[in-house]
Amino acid sequence: MSALLEIDDLRVTFGTRYGEVTALDSVSLHVDAGETLGVVGESGCGKSITALSVMGLIPQPPGKIAGGSIRLNGEELIGANPARLRGLRGGDVAMIFQEPMTSLNPVFTVGDQIAEAIMLHQNVDKAQALKDAIALLDRVGIPSPDARARDYPHQLSGGMRQRVMIAMAVSCRPKVLIADEPTTALDVTVQAQIFDLLNEIQRDFGAAIVLITHDMGAISEMADRVAVMYAGRVIEEASADDVLDYPQHPYARGLIDCIPALGRDDHRLAEIPGVVPPLHLLGAGCAFAERCAHKQDRCGLEKPLLAAHGHHPVACHGIEEGRI
Amino acid sequence: MTALLDVRDLTVRFALPKPSFFAERPHLEAVRQVSFTLEAGHALGIVGESGSGKTTTAMAAIRLTRAAGGQVLFEGQDLLDLDDEQMRQRRRDVQLIFQDPYSSLNPRARVVDIVREPMDLMEIGTPEERLERVRELFALVGLRPDQLNLFPHQFSGGQRQRISIARALTTNPKLLVCDEPVSALDVAIQAQILNLLAELKEKLGLSYLFISHDLGVVRHVCDDVAVMYLGKIVESGPVQALFEAPQHPYTQALLAAAPSLARRKSKGYVRPLKVSGDPPSPINPPPGCAFADRCPKAQDVCRQTPPVLQPVAGTQAACHFPGPADV
Repeated sequence: MSALLEIDDLRVTFGTRYGEVTALDSVSLHVDAGETLGVVGESGCGKSITALSVMGLIPQPPGKIAGGSIRLNGEELIGANPARLRGLRGGDVAMIFQEPMTSLNPVFTVGDQIAEAIMLHQNVDKAQALKDAIALLDRVGIPSPDARARDYPHQLSGGMRQRVMIAMAVSCRPKVLIADEPTTALDVTVQAQIFDLLNEIQRDFGAAIVLITHDMGAISEMADRVAVMYAGRVIEEASADDVLDYPQHPYARGLIDCIPALGRDDHRLAEIPGVVPPLHLLGAGCAFAERCAHKQDRCGLEKPLLAAHGHHPVACHGIEEGRI
Repeated sequence: MTALLDVRDLTVRFALPKPSFFAERPHLEAVRQVSFTLEAGHALGIVGESGSGKTTTAMAAIRLTRAAGGQVLFEGQDLLDLDDEQMRQRRRDVQLIFQDPYSSLNPRARVVDIVREPMDLMEIGTPEERLERVRELFALVGLRPDQLNLFPHQFSGGQRQRISIARALTTNPKLLVCDEPVSALDVAIQAQILNLLAELKEKLGLSYLFISHDLGVVRHVCDDVAVMYLGKIVESGPVQALFEAPQHPYTQALLAAAPSLARRKSKGYVRPLKVSGDPPSPINPPPGCAFADRCPKAQDVCRQTPPVLQPVAGTQAACHFPGPADV
């Protein structure tokens, strides 16, 4: 049985002044209806590029999808014609962006903006679309939705704007909802409200959610399955419990250990030395090798592949050889 | 026990535009009668959501924002009473680290000059001594001497924050105000900077006034915490007491909202305490408790009478109905 959304061996490159760099390398992910896949990693690891590839929003050039496939319900999206992609975007696949202020149009009321999305994908007139928009605003928990639908984005708080974005994203009952750091710009109490809302929407609509985040706490509360990315590759993938309780890859372990947690008093945080290498300086070996305490000769020469070694799939020579 | 910084009834007002020519100018009280004490060698965390007045409080305490009232006693001397030259001399004891290491360093200056500048301004030592001090600071914060002559854009975010820290330490300050020092950094880098700050505190006996919205970070760095909501401190106390047995419903909500590895979707976790809505506007604050509209425990008295900060079981809370969260 194939999954609802399947990304297979995806490779995306960008032309830069350092020559062609590989932003995504053999990325394979899948997500099923009603499931939440968390994609976690530091800035520059390729998690947003993955989302944009699915949406067909990679600017080409400089970007190029150099290989692999993205299938939604078995339908190939790479190389699909632009009209078909336009139909899917906002219809079957919707996205919630990080910064609600910049992703809403400041000169239209939020009601109009949601109605526009509805009219593009459903055969309804403007009056009906506006009525649907108000119902959606009510659904995402905006008080007095009639009045708010006539507001412009700047009249709403950050949390309200993100709710508007969610209303717009779910307006056509998408099968896949991609949330790219949906709460980074928000305060924690509002973030909690948005997470609760996303979970509710998933229960109601049965959508698959791809949650892109750098926050392991968010992963723990939201995700069923997790893919950890580093420098354009998936380095570990398993159920949320497996990754959080038994992280295998040295990077995944570091990422979990370095969080200053609320519930524990550790004197010194574990840290990962160094920084993520720039993509144009990636060598032939494992991208994490220079920061890894378990580095051996092979790590510098050969890229490890994602494969099940013992517990769950992980891309690490050390684990493959059983020395970590 | 000596208090390095003793802030009493600090109030900050910002002028708003006049609604009409003859109308009186309205004001917004961003910080309302805030009092706290920072012991020498301790770190005091100020937490709160955006707009709660945490940054304004810290800026007013070191006179970077004009206070409308109150006292700021630094080693017993009221900073708000000093004249400009006295304050300038005092500035060597109080330094600042900003949130965004990209905009807080001059892009056209070499980092050696950036770090040396406070000494130039304060006329400390000879040029050779200053350069020596810069080298020393570079080693202290974990930068290499061969990086002295580079420009800020040649460094990563974490390294830039190290440069900011080195610059803040040049004048041997007693108090370091850290305004969200790690919120612009990736988690792995965040841990490096937090460990550095903890190390420096120990080694140099520094005191921190640490502003953050991240409760985990505050718990890790600070000895004491003050939680702010709409310009007021709603709860304060030692880190352990406040995090383990918060008494104010807002603190409880904040802790329940913070994403945590302890809560799992697979275990069917449901948040014990939910707050709805957004904080009220500071332009027209409600007459009673500012949190009343979002509070699950609110009664009529909460909407009419503002609660005062008073000791409750290990912390100080400003609440008419303090007590452990009922789950």
